[in-house]
Amino acid sequence: MAFSDFCPKRRRCDSCSMKRKLTLILLTSLVLTFAAMLFAFGVGVGHYEIFPYSLIESVRHSVYLAIRADATEGKALFDNDCARCHGIDGSGGEGPRLDKPALSRAADDDALRSIIRDGIGVMRPVRQTTTAEQNNLIAYVRALGRSAASAPVAGNVEEGRALYDGLGCASCHIVNGVGEGVGPELTHVGAMRGREYLHEALTNPTAALPRGTLEVAEGLSEFLPVRVTTLDGREIRGARINEDTFTIQLRDADNQYYSFRKSDLRALEKGGPTSLMPSWEGRLTDAQMDDLIAYLLSLNGRS
Amino acid sequence: MILRVLAVLVLSAVSAEAQIPYERIVDAAAAPGDWLTYSGTYASHRFSSLNQVDKRTVAQLRPAWIYQFQSVGIIETSPIVADGLMFVTELNGRVAALDARTGRAVWTYSPYAPASLIGFRFNRGVAVLDDTVFVGTTAAHLVALDAKSGVVRWDVVVEDNRRGYHITGAPLALEGRIIVGVAGGDHGTRGFLDAYDPKTGKRVWRLYTVPAGSGEPGAETWSGPGRKIGGATWVTGSFDPGLNLLYWGTGNPGPLWNGDERPGDNLYTCSLLAIDPKDGSIRWHFQYTPHDVHDWDSNQVPVLFDATLDGRARKLVALANRNGFYYVLDRENGAFVAGAPFVKQTWADGLDVKGRPILRPDAAPTKEGTLVFPGVGAAADWWSPTYSPQTELFYLAAGERGATYYKGEVDYRTANLYLGGGYRSVDNDDSWGAVRALEATTGKLKWEFRLTRPPVGGLLSTAGGLVFGGTTEGNFFALDADTGKPLWDFQLGAPIKANPMSFAVDGKQYVAIAARLGLFVFALP
Repeated sequence: MAFSDFCPKRRRCDSCSMKRKLTLILLTSLVLTFAAMLFAFGVGVGHYEIFPYSLIESVRHSVYLAIRADATEGKALFDNDCARCHGIDGSGGEGPRLDKPALSRAADDDALRSIIRDGIGVMRPVRQTTTAEQNNLIAYVRALGRSAASAPVAGNVEEGRALYDGLGCASCHIVNGVGEGVGPELTHVGAMRGREYLHEALTNPTAALPRGTLEVAEGLSEFLPVRVTTLDGREIRGARINEDTFTIQLRDADNQYYSFRKSDLRALEKGGPTSLMPSWEGRLTDAQMDDLIAYLLSLNGRS
Repeated sequence: MILRVLAVLVLSAVSAEAQIPYERIVDAAAAPGDWLTYSGTYASHRFSSLNQVDKRTVAQLRPAWIYQFQSVGIIETSPIVADGLMFVTELNGRVAALDARTGRAVWTYSPYAPASLIGFRFNRGVAVLDDTVFVGTTAAHLVALDAKSGVVRWDVVVEDNRRGYHITGAPLALEGRIIVGVAGGDHGTRGFLDAYDPKTGKRVWRLYTVPAGSGEPGAETWSGPGRKIGGATWVTGSFDPGLNLLYWGTGNPGPLWNGDERPGDNLYTCSLLAIDPKDGSIRWHFQYTPHDVHDWDSNQVPVLFDATLDGRARKLVALANRNGFYYVLDRENGAFVAGAPFVKQTWADGLDVKGRPILRPDAAPTKEGTLVFPGVGAAADWWSPTYSPQTELFYLAAGERGATYYKGEVDYRTANLYLGGGYRSVDNDDSWGAVRALEATTGKLKWEFRLTRPPVGGLLSTAGGLVFGGTTEGNFFALDADTGKPLWDFQLGAPIKANPMSFAVDGKQYVAIAARLGLFVFALP
């Protein structure tokens, strides 16, 4: 194969402009390909990177995602590090649900990466992740969102709303401004929690305390059931609002507020006897439970 | 001629007032109106012999004045008080000199501190010697300031911040030496301790705490391809003028939770070093946690005390370690004397006769996560313990909190956090804290006072029979030093991540502590 094979005049010439053009094209393509590979896959020498970290990563990102991100690897990482708060299959739990096509705090993949890498709000990253791991997690979380969009939801939302009203839940919870604020607000509960958590909260509330609903009591379990006995023998059962080494603040089921110095209490039981919220175990049929949960899952904010 | 004599008299009177020569710091315990060094005395007892505030009167303690910091963030400062002036530090190594009577600012110093600085921004305090105040900054400079005016005398670069080095601890002033430690052990740096000439800022010696090459001491304890990283020196140590020995703790090796590429004990990380202050040579060392994979820095305050054991007078050093064990060593030769856990710990089946931990095989971090007690920075950390020579008890604010430790891939990039994994603390009501009083020679628990959350601040003990401390929920409190009974508390409104101290002006005793936006100073009516 020689340059003369490409020559329209089938001639060999030293000064052939076609030869120069082809050489130029070939060289340029080689350089561009090499540069693209460098940017795509990085140049590592032992533990070091030759190109500045931020530059290489920002360009690598899109190429990597398209070519190398692995949602199966992402699932393994997710199950190990994320599922304990965000639930198996991202169905929610202590942390918000992630099985949604649009995540309000991660509108694009850059925002999602930022959260995985640095945390957000009360979430701290479980451990330092490499870029490859972040790519895999992003791929998996987005896949969760896509598959959840098409999944059917058991239960009837309207029947569930009627149940919510009929059972008197509004005497302790507020939804869209209606109700009493003894327990956590439920206006956004459908965006925060998945089916599994809601089922546990309805059947065994003492074991399923809410998370991320109370800003004031940093580091303390939220709505912890407490029972106090005052020095004059009065017993009060409530949900704890806040506490320090010397004082405690709580609310009882009638939304009555109390504040005590611990030295003024004869006894202080924390975590019991049970949550103020009743358990609905055995008091609702399976169909009713599905309906109620369907209604709660539909609560995504003010309607 | 008369003017000259007058000038000399006036100048010497003024300078005699403000001078803090080395000898005054050596005798600091006998002059409790001042607080001349980070831990009160070179022995680091953080004990005040003032007794105006005592078990009977402490209930009347109320705020005397408050100084609000210029910078918002975590404030870990421990004030110095010398001859009516108080020196506090704020973010990045900013210094404020305050009138100790009224809290009014006398001067301030703002260090070079662009937003791009690497490292933690908090600062634990200054050192004073003669007429000079010394501060280490986040930018890893050591700056000498005129104590009276705050004007810079000299400013030297300790190390390059862009490589991850920064300074968070208070320097220690010895005769002719300003001792400065560095932070950055989590940022992939090689730790060291420096000594500077107080007059000129010239570096006199540098002691690296981890070896560089195969010839250096300790190199045989690092095999494998990993970099030799860690051993940061970020908490102020102690000094015995009689033995002329400087005692300083060292931090963890890197990467924190993945030790695969650094098999071996990794000297001199997680150790206590006894150092000759003249030339920075190591007289002896004791390693608390060989081959640490739990981020158990030994950057805790070493407390020097004397006791009689088996009929013999002994010179000892106590340290309540981040690994959950309380250790007593002979401070002349580093021999292990006693050790006992002071919190729940699940990683060791005790200590052997030399004080080396007997490791449990299932306690190392794993990819899936391993639950271990204590967690990271939970049992004990930088915040100060206190030793009362009156009760002969060692008091500390301890956290009961485990963590799930994860082992991950290692990815070294200059000055980035070099972790090799991570952790998740046991949180909410499954973790708590306590002020614990230990028999100093044995670590045996005498009493405890439970705290709602694991603490992040230290303690002060006083001759008034009191132990002062602060809770994470914001309570500044006083306990009976003999029984642990709470005698007084005041809600400051923010987590207390600082150490208390006490001083006196015009015959009135004050107790002070920092909490987020303010330095709060209390006194009797």
